[in-house]
Amino acid sequence: MMPKKRLIFTLLYNNGSFMLSRNFRLQNVGNLEWLKKNYDFSHISYSIDEIIVLDVTRGEKKLDDFCSALKLLTDGCFVPIAAGGGINQIESARMLLRSGADKVVINSALYANDGFARDLASEFGQQCVVGSMDIKLSENGQYQTWSENGMKCEAGPAKYWVERIINDSVGEIYLNSIDRDGTGQGFNLELLDLLPDLVSKPVILAGGAGNATHLLAGLEDLRVDAVATANLFNFVGDGLKEARQSLVANGIVLPVWDVQLLERHLNATGINGEQS
Amino acid sequence: MEAKVYRCMSNVKVTLIDYGMGNIWSVISALKYLDCNVIVSSDPVVIKEAKTLLLPGVGSFRKAMESLRELHLDEAIIESVQNGGNKILGICLGMQLLGSKSSEDGETVGLNLIPAQVEEFSMKDIGTNKIPHIGFNQVTSLDEAKLFRGLPEKPDFYFVHSYRMLPSNLSGKSATCRYGTDFLAAYENDNIFATQFHPEKSQTNGLMLLRNFLAA
Repeated sequence: MMPKKRLIFTLLYNNGSFMLSRNFRLQNVGNLEWLKKNYDFSHISYSIDEIIVLDVTRGEKKLDDFCSALKLLTDGCFVPIAAGGGINQIESARMLLRSGADKVVINSALYANDGFARDLASEFGQQCVVGSMDIKLSENGQYQTWSENGMKCEAGPAKYWVERIINDSVGEIYLNSIDRDGTGQGFNLELLDLLPDLVSKPVILAGGAGNATHLLAGLEDLRVDAVATANLFNFVGDGLKEARQSLVANGIVLPVWDVQLLERHLNATGINGEQS
Repeated sequence: MEAKVYRCMSNVKVTLIDYGMGNIWSVISALKYLDCNVIVSSDPVVIKEAKTLLLPGVGSFRKAMESLRELHLDEAIIESVQNGGNKILGICLGMQLLGSKSSEDGETVGLNLIPAQVEEFSMKDIGTNKIPHIGFNQVTSLDEAKLFRGLPEKPDFYFVHSYRMLPSNLSGKSATCRYGTDFLAAYENDNIFATQFHPEKSQTNGLMLLRNFLAA
């Protein structure tokens, strides 16, 4: 059967802090401590199916620090983790994969270095590469793709790049709307029209979700395999848990977790885990 | 809420085979949660002596086999498991490496501890499904499967792969997953265990399965 749909939480890391992004302008929300306090991932991970952590630090990025944060963040958190941000070398990707990441997100390198996705895939497997694209409606009414944290416009229509990147050595594609980013106005489903008719790779839709209804609208579209939100404020506390319940109640097939499974079993079988 | 550590496995020592390619942090994190004593090693001598081995894996089959050979870990694993009777769990690519051969990136011979070939999902098999197979999917296990003790029926596990083994004519299958066609989701035969999915990424289902492996 089809894999279940996924609800993804995206975290934006900037030089030791976690950020809220609005149309790619960053606002500092808090450090790792703040995040742990307001979003205990080892606890709320039962409400999400994947975490994406992106280093959006402008200028020089400190990969070692990012990897340390990634390790702390994902400790005790047993969901898939994808990480990225400025990755353009195999060795940087390897460091992320050794710091808790299962997949590597690449964006600007897709345009700047033609063979990079292929090199990554031959080293780690294609399933390990997430191709991320930031898309914006330009003044002439055409969608265009932007790289370098939304600073550089890539020549040609977005449709061309989407098709090209989907056919590159990526395992998944992450479509993010710069226009809707952080606005809480809902996803831009028009981005899905940029996809070729037959898409053979999973599609993650991002940018704009502010509530459960928005997430639902994304997941109900047959072209979407997963939705992502990076909105640190709108889903604080039990926000993600409630959003998930609402999605399931509306017929979206998401994975089912019995949070108490291990604990109950250990209570029944004794401290040494021997079957009685 | 504090993460709970279950003091149930404190005597279990697990040796994680490090050949430079696995998502080792995730696996270590899950084993530590189960209170295991985790040893990460790429030393053939250590691997040969280890009672409980874990072979993780993210990457391409060919590259992985090359690394294992370079580090002389291929012989060490085979000797440890086949002659020493030590138990092993292969995860994802780690499961595939235990197979006889893979057609990924040209044909490459595997460790041959599981008598099955690794091949790409064929378009014919999967119909309108996508490749790679990414996400949580339901697994159907055999009643007697040790790895699935105490798990709910048709538990969800996290898959991320384009290649798979087929269960046909294979003794020692323990679970299958349907993705267009039924493929081998988990394998167990005596001291050899393997999962195509990632237990360390499958929340409580995965922790429970890892615990079952450690207790087996």
